[in-house]
Amino acid sequence: MRTDVAVRRYRVWYAVLLRLYPRPFHERFGEGMEQTFHDLCRERREAKRGLLGFALWIVFETSIGIIRENTSRMTQMSKTVLRVALVALGLLMVPLVASQVVEGWNWGVGGFVFTYVLFFGTGLAFALIARKMNAWTYKAGVGLALVAGFAMGWANMVHMSESENHSYLAYLGVLAVGGVGAWLARLEAGGLAGVLFAMAAMLVVVGVIVGSPDVPPLVVRNRLIGHVVFVGMFASAGLLFRQGSR
Amino acid sequence: MKNKDSALAPLTPAVLHILLALSTEERHGYGIMKQVAADSEGKVKMGPGTLYGSVGRMLEAGLIEESDKRVDPEMDDERRIYYKITGEGQAALGAEVARYRGVVALAEGRLSYEN
Repeated sequence: MRTDVAVRRYRVWYAVLLRLYPRPFHERFGEGMEQTFHDLCRERREAKRGLLGFALWIVFETSIGIIRENTSRMTQMSKTVLRVALVALGLLMVPLVASQVVEGWNWGVGGFVFTYVLFFGTGLAFALIARKMNAWTYKAGVGLALVAGFAMGWANMVHMSESENHSYLAYLGVLAVGGVGAWLARLEAGGLAGVLFAMAAMLVVVGVIVGSPDVPPLVVRNRLIGHVVFVGMFASAGLLFRQGSR
Repeated sequence: MKNKDSALAPLTPAVLHILLALSTEERHGYGIMKQVAADSEGKVKMGPGTLYGSVGRMLEAGLIEESDKRVDPEMDDERRIYYKITGEGQAALGAEVARYRGVVALAEGRLSYEN
């Protein structure tokens, strides 16, 4: 009876130790490991052999496993970060080369750093979100939504730097809705579909609000084309997510 | 991610013992440990850290797969996940045994030559 209490207590402590595994590993194997530990302790108890030394050996052996799994996970993460950093650097070459050959392209160091951070942030967001799911529709949806968000944010910032019109801030509101919505949807495909459709609808509303009658026809046409493209991209990403949720 | 070459790659001792334990029937974690101990006459002692670390990698490589979660009638009433060997796992085990046969044949040939 006393040993039963000890086995149960050791199992509780072992369950606490297992929480040090990376979360996906713990969710998949934690229960099985706990059961196996319990079975091993019970076997020892039935053989009337000491438990403490055995439990300590298992704790030591499991701790090595915890270090190995965490190290392996960190290595995969480091590889992903390095790959994204290199791709972002490759993409940065485009404006870097363009600034040398295109007349009037005078970015300062800050501009290039800002652009690199944008490329890197978008790429890393894609790599981390897309690996949550294997479905190509989910990955394509994430890619399309990020490209649309990146391009819209970029175009908007350029406009804001050249104009005193603060109504452009409303476009950043569309992106904020996307960010908060993705967080609330916990990146689940079904929820993300709704978020992307909401962003597309909000963009239409913002387009109507920001539109002004004293703007030259050419600007109106360009703005309309821009809106149609971005609404189409957000809606298409929403459709991809909806497909991925089935 | 499944590795198509996994069936041809040499296996670690832990993976070899787990595949051998699963070659006859589906087993849960504790069942695998008991079978490994029986197969090796108690010489191989595998803890849960080694077992489930290997199981994770073997699932990823497609060598084994999870079976039903069910109660083991010989144990308590807790439901346990059972693991079973796949076709790829059997191929990997066969390839490893063939490698061992080759090594044994080579060693025997050399030893008889020296004698």
